[in-house]
Amino acid sequence: MPSEPAAIARPPLARWFPLVWPPIVTFVVIVGLWQGAVSFFEIPVYVLPSPVRVWQAFWAAPTTLLGHAGITLFEAMSGFVLGSALGALLGTAFAYSPVLARGFMPYVIAANTIPVVAIAPIIIIWFGHGLASKIAVTTFLSFFPLALNMMKGLQSYDRVVMDVFHVAAATPAQRFFKMRLPSALPYVFVGLKINVTFSVIGAIVAEFVQADRGLGFVIMTTYRMLAMPRLWAAMIVSALIGILFFALIALIERLAIPWHASMREPQ
Amino acid sequence: MAEPRPAPASPADAPVVDVRDVSLVYAGDRGSAGLRALDHVRLSVAKGSFVSLIGPSGCGKSTLLRIVADLLAPTAGTVTVGGVAPKAARLARQIGFVFQDPALPEWRRILDNVVLPLELRGVDRAAREARGRELMRLVGLEGFERAWPRQLSGGMRQRAAIARALSTEPRVLLMDEPFGALDQITRDRLNMELAAIHEETGVTVLFVTHSIREAVLLSDKVVVMTPRPGRITRVIDVALARPRKLATRDDDAFQDLVREGNRELERGYADAL
Repeated sequence: MPSEPAAIARPPLARWFPLVWPPIVTFVVIVGLWQGAVSFFEIPVYVLPSPVRVWQAFWAAPTTLLGHAGITLFEAMSGFVLGSALGALLGTAFAYSPVLARGFMPYVIAANTIPVVAIAPIIIIWFGHGLASKIAVTTFLSFFPLALNMMKGLQSYDRVVMDVFHVAAATPAQRFFKMRLPSALPYVFVGLKINVTFSVIGAIVAEFVQADRGLGFVIMTTYRMLAMPRLWAAMIVSALIGILFFALIALIERLAIPWHASMREPQ
Repeated sequence: MAEPRPAPASPADAPVVDVRDVSLVYAGDRGSAGLRALDHVRLSVAKGSFVSLIGPSGCGKSTLLRIVADLLAPTAGTVTVGGVAPKAARLARQIGFVFQDPALPEWRRILDNVVLPLELRGVDRAAREARGRELMRLVGLEGFERAWPRQLSGGMRQRAAIARALSTEPRVLLMDEPFGALDQITRDRLNMELAAIHEETGVTVLFVTHSIREAVLLSDKVVVMTPRPGRITRVIDVALARPRKLATRDDDAFQDLVREGNRELERGYADAL
């Protein structure tokens, strides 16, 4: 044989180390500079609390803050799932019906440009003060990225592969499930990763507008009281749930499309 | 492997592919004449034979192959494959097609790619994988069952595409410049392996190429075509002994045939200009 294929086994921990140490070093340096600057320049706590003060504010009531984070994450994930599913269905319809796509696409794109802060109050009027309105806002935001990426993905199949399926007498269902859908998956994951960020932002903005729970609510109330270390703690927790959510989707992607070029081991 | 087929009422020596007076005109814009890609083409391919179509770009050789595979419909004339229309032959999985691009879906491992047509036909996993392994041995890909397409070289990918096209034991193997994108050494090697596969399976092959040397080396008949309109100008019988080797290309008889083919191609050019 001309050549052995490159192994695509998962690297052991030793091979992960070179990938992991640079961000850890960056983290330590930034936190160190932050703490040093606050001490050295005697920056007032309402302008910039030191990492130690933020840490203390978090530990003053960790379960409360994590409880609020749980609410926000629940809203984000629910809207993410609902919006992505609805978007995928509409994107599929668009991919199969050019008339439908031409008829609706301009309005889908227009709706996509509405700022979330403008639409959130309206949705809260419609869906009430509970969790439903927050989930509706995140659903709205998650809808468009999947609709667009699903449509694009389903249209981006290889024409020669389509000929192969044609010569092999594939049924329309086989063409969809064994060819167009797998071809679309890399695009679907692009949409899902956009939605991770959008859905966390959407949930927090909706809580900003009106809520009695969630990280958006914590940020709003601590801002009014100028309890800045706690506000910083809430902000960092909101970033962390976004990262965790993103890591989950990235893991699913790795399992779902191990064959894709984007899944190559880093050089 | 013999299997019962809805045998058309045709004797054993009937051609596997029969092209009768086929023309194909691509419609022009608003009343302009349109492009005559094929003009009254007649061709029959005997069972078990290896026939090459050769000619410059635009002579309609790929178009003809696509019509035989039911990827295109002719404007006039009829085509039969194993005695039935191309569509019926395609639906009965009687046609294998190898494109210039291996077109292996990147999300399927090599074995899963090779058995794709069997999977689409509904053959159960154990049976199709047994057949797939047998085919991978035939094309020299043993040991690469679990590899992803992107891990293989161009030549190896094309071997997998050939194995896939043979998986349903088609009556005819259609090949559209299958080695056109490969380097000369890989190409020579795959030529010899294709000759061996043809010998071993007895499959009928209709092969499109730009290379007169490749055509003469592999074929029983070389069909020379000219463009504008796409026409068959000459069918050259290649009576060289089999099995052929790369060294066959050094024989005088081989070189005479190549010269004859080149003369015919040049004449076609002169007429077309």
